[in-house]
Amino acid sequence: MNLDETTVAHLQELRRGTVVLACLVRLRTPDYGYALLESLNGLGILVDANTLYPLLRRLEKQGLLTSEWNTDEARPRKFYRTSPTGDALAIALMTDWRRIDDALAGLTTGDES
Amino acid sequence: MTTLTDRYVWGAVRTVPERQRAELDRELRERIGDAVDAQVEAGIAPPDAERAALLELGDPAGLAAQYIDRPLQLIGPKYYLTWLRLLKLLIAIVVPCAAVGVAIAQAIAGESIGGIFGAVIGIAISVGVHVAFWTTLVFAILERTPTESGQRGVDVAWTLDMLPALPEPAKASRLAELITSVVFLVAFAVVLVLQHFVGVPWVDDLESVPLLSPELWTFWMPYFLVLIAAEIVFAFALYAWGWNWWLAAVNLVLNVAFTVPALWLLLTGQLIDEQVLEVMKWPWGESAPIIVAILVAVLIAAAIWDVVDGAVKASRRGHSTGSPARGAATSGTSFEGSAR
Repeated sequence: MNLDETTVAHLQELRRGTVVLACLVRLRTPDYGYALLESLNGLGILVDANTLYPLLRRLEKQGLLTSEWNTDEARPRKFYRTSPTGDALAIALMTDWRRIDDALAGLTTGDES
Repeated sequence: MTTLTDRYVWGAVRTVPERQRAELDRELRERIGDAVDAQVEAGIAPPDAERAALLELGDPAGLAAQYIDRPLQLIGPKYYLTWLRLLKLLIAIVVPCAAVGVAIAQAIAGESIGGIFGAVIGIAISVGVHVAFWTTLVFAILERTPTESGQRGVDVAWTLDMLPALPEPAKASRLAELITSVVFLVAFAVVLVLQHFVGVPWVDDLESVPLLSPELWTFWMPYFLVLIAAEIVFAFALYAWGWNWWLAAVNLVLNVAFTVPALWLLLTGQLIDEQVLEVMKWPWGESAPIIVAILVAVLIAAAIWDVVDGAVKASRRGHSTGSPARGAATSGTSFEGSAR
């Protein structure tokens, strides 16, 4: 798909918040950065490593994620898990997401009629 | 882990505060390791895979800044407008004050006109640079000062009083400015010519005595009369087009062309006729240099004011015609801008 710059910028803006929501939901089961990146992209939630890694740190700093180093394997990995606060936020975000989806749906059907 | 990765990680962690280094070090190694593995899986040889992975991560300092949320701009959007407003205000106040002060001091010290101009320009530039530098430094520090979460830090609340006055009167009301200018300029020219024949009729000793040196008629008097004619043409140009950068530049040239010779003639004693000076009992002892200094300062200040005023009006107009949509929303003056 060949998208012009404006479209790309708007898509990025639209997706920004959904990545946070996706992380909070996905990390109800603990996982580490790269695995999360792979699984999100596999699910069709497109996110760039340069966005995801700093985002995880920020969410942890805000107390929405907790982390723990797993040193069982040769390479130590930082496992993130959604905190209770993060979970509450995920529910709030999801509710709002649904509301916006409904509203937009109403808007488009209103357009067509 | 190889030296290349070690060097990359060091390049990143050395830019963050000491206490955050150990954690960032581990996180980066995890990320680089996973990225290299991904490259190898894609079929690239391990040494090349490491290079490719590091190249993809980019400048380590930039990466570290992303991780710790450090601003990569000198002054961010939070402070930019406050900074810009304050800087403009300070420059507009401090630089002219310093320039006039230096002009007075130099004139009292008996400097030549060239020396005064040199000193004024030098001081104006250096004061401007200092004001800009120190103001910016303070804001750059503010930008990097952590604030309580949710707080905006140092803040200047925006109020309705800060709304700017509407730009430039429309052509119809520029007519008043044109008439004022032309009447003043013509009167000035008439006075210049009349003083030669009439002198100062209400002082007995000066009746029919030229106020300004008769020698000026060989060159300078015609020069100033031509200049006045040029000013009249300029006033009409302003009426026709309104302020723009070309006219602001012409305004600067006209001001310099008038002020510099006038000051030179005054300070070298060629301007006022000697007979007149005798009648006035000039020089008036101790106060003479101070009076000359004040006169010089007023002349320079008036010229600078006029030039700056023109430039400010030109820049405002430049903005308002540059974005007709905004202009149309704020006032009727832009009708003219969009009609053109």
